[in-house]
Amino acid sequence: MKILVVEDDKRTADYVRRGLIEAGHVVDLIANGHEALVHATQQSFDVVIVDRMLPGLDGLAVVKSLRAAQIATPIIFLTAVNGVDDRVEGLESGGDDYLVKPFAFSELLARVNALGRRLPQQSQTTVLQIADLEVDLVRRSCRRAGVVIDLLPREFGLLEYLMRNEGRVVTRTMLLERVWDFHFDPQTSVVETHISRLRAKIDKPFDRQLIHTMRSIGYSIHA
Amino acid sequence: MRDSLLRSTPFRVTLILATAVLVSLIVAGFVALQLIDGELAERMDRSIADSFKIIAQAYGTGDRADMIDSVTSHAEAAAGHERVFALAGPDGASLAGNVTTLPAGDGWMTLDAASLGIADTTARYRLIIGTVAGNRLLVGQSLTEIGEIAGLTLGSIVWAGVVILGLVTAVGGVLALRAQRRINEIGATMARVGHGDLAARIPVSARGDDIDILSGQMNAALDRVSGLVEGMRQVSVNIAHDLKTPLNRLAISVEAASVEARSEPLLGFLGQATTEIQQINATFDALLRIAQIEAGARRERFVAMDLAGVLQRIKDAYVDVAVERQQVLDVRWDADLPKIDGDAELLIQLCANLVENALRHGPAGTHAVLSAQSVGGVVQLQCADNGPGIADAERSRVFERLYRIEKSRNSAGNGLGLSLVKAIAELHGATIALEHNDPGLRVVVRFAARRRPS
Repeated sequence: MKILVVEDDKRTADYVRRGLIEAGHVVDLIANGHEALVHATQQSFDVVIVDRMLPGLDGLAVVKSLRAAQIATPIIFLTAVNGVDDRVEGLESGGDDYLVKPFAFSELLARVNALGRRLPQQSQTTVLQIADLEVDLVRRSCRRAGVVIDLLPREFGLLEYLMRNEGRVVTRTMLLERVWDFHFDPQTSVVETHISRLRAKIDKPFDRQLIHTMRSIGYSIHA
Repeated sequence: MRDSLLRSTPFRVTLILATAVLVSLIVAGFVALQLIDGELAERMDRSIADSFKIIAQAYGTGDRADMIDSVTSHAEAAAGHERVFALAGPDGASLAGNVTTLPAGDGWMTLDAASLGIADTTARYRLIIGTVAGNRLLVGQSLTEIGEIAGLTLGSIVWAGVVILGLVTAVGGVLALRAQRRINEIGATMARVGHGDLAARIPVSARGDDIDILSGQMNAALDRVSGLVEGMRQVSVNIAHDLKTPLNRLAISVEAASVEARSEPLLGFLGQATTEIQQINATFDALLRIAQIEAGARRERFVAMDLAGVLQRIKDAYVDVAVERQQVLDVRWDADLPKIDGDAELLIQLCANLVENALRHGPAGTHAVLSAQSVGGVVQLQCADNGPGIADAERSRVFERLYRIEKSRNSAGNGLGLSLVKAIAELHGATIALEHNDPGLRVVVRFAARRRPS
C-alpha cells in the first residue's frame, strides 16, 4: 500500500516509516500540516497517518480539509493526548481510527492493514467463509463442517470482526473498540476470556485450529 | 412555583412591607376612631346641656307657660325624634315635648328609644333630666349621628387603607419582579457556568446599583476561573505533549530493542520496561481524564439515554470474565428505567471500573451484583459484592487520586479507578456513596431521572 505519514517528531516518523517499509509498504513522510494537505490532495494514497499536533496546520484541520475536498482515503490519527473528547473530535473531523502514543508498532500496523483492506464490496457480503467455517451475516448463523454452532450475540460480533480481517492480525485494543465499544483499557481479561469461549465453540471440537494467537500482539483467523 | 416565590427575597420584602402598612393602618384607624368618638360625645353633651340651660332659663321669668312654649317650640324644631324634649309637672303629668315617658331619676343617662316610649326608631339616646322648680325637664339627642360619623370615618380609613395597600403591593411587586429577574439572571448564569459553559457572564446594566456591583464582582471571579481552567487545559495539553513525546520515543527504543534482542533474559527485561511504560502512560492518561471530567468536559455531548443499554454491554463483557475467575457476576435492571442525561462511553467506564474493582479485589467465589432500579425520581445504580470490603477508616480516602488501600498496594492498578468513577458520577450530577454490604462493599450511585419534556 502507499501510505502518507504526517508526523513532526523525527524519531517517531523514522520508526514508523522503517516499520511500514519492512512490512512491504511505500511511504511518504511529511512533517508539516500545510505541506501534508498539498501532498495528500495531489497524490492518491491508500492510507494516511496524521499526527494531531503539527506545526502549521494541526492534524484536525488537515483531515477536515481533506474530507471537505472529497478525499475519502482512510485516515488514522496519531496523538499524544488521550483526553475524554479527543477521540470523538478526531472521528468527527473525518478520521477513521485513532491511536494514542506511545503505541506498539504492531498495533499501528494492524490498524493500517485493517483500514487499507476495507474494500467497498466487502460491506455487501452476506456470507463469510474460512475453510469449513461459514458465517451467514443475514441469518446470524454459524456452521462449521456442516455442524450448526450456537453463538451468543457478542460472540457472533467477535467472530464476524475476526473473519472480516481474515489473515490479518487484530489487536486486543481493536477488538475492545470494535466488538465491545470499550475505549479504555480493562484491568481484567475481557478479550482473552471471550476468545477462549469462542475457540471452545468453533475450534476445539474440530481438528484444525482457525483462531491463532499472535503473542503479545493479538489474534488472527485464517485457515 | 408558589414555593419559589415565597423564597424570593424581594417578594418577601414586599410582603413584609405590605403587612407593616396594613398593621399601622389598623392601629391608626382605631386610635383616630376613638379620638373622634370621644370628641363628638363631648360636644353632644355640651349641646344638650346648653339646650337644657336655655329651656330652664325660660322659667326664670317665673312663668311655667313660657317653659311649656319653649319646650314645645324646641320639640317642633326637632323634626321626628332626632332630638327629644319632655316636660312633666310635679305630679308627673306630661306638659309638653315630643316624648311623654320620663324615666325616673335625674342626671345624665344613655337610653334606648323604647324606654322613652318612642316607637318609630331603635336609636339610642343621650339625655339629661333635671328638676326646674318642681317640674322635670328632659333634653336629649339621638346617638345615630355620632354612629354615622364614626361609620363614615371608618369607611374613609378602610378605603384609604385599601388604596395604600394596593399601591404598596403593586409598586413593591413590580420592583420585586425586577429585582427577582436580575437575581434569576445571576442564578441562570451561575448554573450555566456550573454546567461547564465557562464563557457565560452575568449581564450588567448601566445603573451601577448594588446588584450591578455584585454582578461585576462575580463576572470578575468567573473571568479568573475560566482563565485558570483554560490555563490548566493548555498546561495539560502541553505536558501531555512534552511528556508523551519522549515516552513514545522510549517505547519505540524498547520495542526496537525487543526486535533485535536474542537472549531470553534481555527479552524479559525489555518486556518489564514495556509494562512500566504502559503503566506510566495509563496513570498519566487517567489523571488527565479525571481533570478534564472534573472541569466539565463532555457535558455538552450529553444525550437522553437508557442505563439498560450500558448494563447490557457490561453484562456481555464481564459475566464470562467472572466465571473464568471462579466468581459470579449478576447484572440486572428494572424493565422500564427512566432515561437519564448522560454519556454512554463514560457510564460504561464507570460501570466497568466498579465491576472490575469487585472482581479484582475479591477472592474466588466472590459474588458481585451490578443493578439499576428506579426509586422515586432517582435511577439508582449499585454494585454490591461480598468481597473484602473497605474499612471505615479508609472509606473516605478511596476517592482520592492515587490513594491505594494498603493491602492492595502491591497488586495491579493505579489508585485512580474510584477517583474516575466519582468524577464521572459527579459530571452526571449523581451522588456516590460507599456502604457496608455485610460482608463486602456496596457502591451506590444515584442519578436524577431525566425530566420529561412538558
